[in-house]
Amino acid sequence: MIVPVQVPELVVSLYPVAIWVGIITGLIGLLGISFQKNDLSVLILTDIVGVAMLIFVAGVATDLAEALILPGLVVELAEIMAISEILLSREIRKNNISGEDLVPTALPLNMEILKTAPTFIAVVLIAYGVFLSGFTGGVIAGGGILFYILSKSARGLPVELFEGLAGASGIAWVFWIVGFLLFFVGPPFWLLGLMLAAFGILIKVASKVGLIGILTREEFKKE
Amino acid sequence: MLDVQIWFYTGCVLVILGSIATVVGPGVKDPLVRTLNTEIPAVGVSLIFLTYNHTLALLTFIAATAVITLILLRAIVRLEELGVDL
Repeated sequence: MIVPVQVPELVVSLYPVAIWVGIITGLIGLLGISFQKNDLSVLILTDIVGVAMLIFVAGVATDLAEALILPGLVVELAEIMAISEILLSREIRKNNISGEDLVPTALPLNMEILKTAPTFIAVVLIAYGVFLSGFTGGVIAGGGILFYILSKSARGLPVELFEGLAGASGIAWVFWIVGFLLFFVGPPFWLLGLMLAAFGILIKVASKVGLIGILTREEFKKE
Repeated sequence: MLDVQIWFYTGCVLVILGSIATVVGPGVKDPLVRTLNTEIPAVGVSLIFLTYNHTLALLTFIAATAVITLILLRAIVRLEELGVDL
């Protein structure tokens, strides 16, 4: 057997099952896509194929596999976002609608909790995300940003908070690389390197999730 | 004491049943129903991640699934507003 002895018996016994489930799910998803004529249904079924891909990677059950799942998820997210945008803009162009109302619903409710609660929840989520730091913190902080933007934009309020988001993302990337370099160049400064990498990836991931906010902002500009 | 494998096999069954439900399940002509059906394989994959102790992957997957559902629902709502035949 080519499997190293360090691999637990449990993982070895589950591996063939995981691969078969992945193959079956992928086949079901791809067959569904090939029989569909509706573009939106194809977009939804892409999600199923993504699930099959995740099972393949997860079956290896090492830390490296876990690390590989994360970029896979980000790629899947970006892919679905891009395809849905293409679908929408194509339909808008096909129907030649000008002056289309780009924000789905502007609720005419005038309640104070609708103004204050999103800010409070977003602040709590972002603070907790910064406290956690690293990848998980980035996801939570990004969720806070996303929640803030979506709840504001659903009421038709302009969101001008994220002008320099792309720049911050680039600087965070540099922090992350410098942090990793410090591990090798100056091992005594490992704590500094760890912190740089952790907060770099925090801002990086948070800004990735906040990208949807940029999408809504672009829609306001079109108006 | 429950075996660890039970979570894995439950996840596998949920993934396969959920993907079949998404492709040919009842009422999938409605894209909203189809989108909601994708949550079943998502729960299955979460259980598989749980078996392998992939905490980070599990957390990120839950966040990504929530965002993907948001994007899909937004696309559905916008397309229906445009009067596209879904």
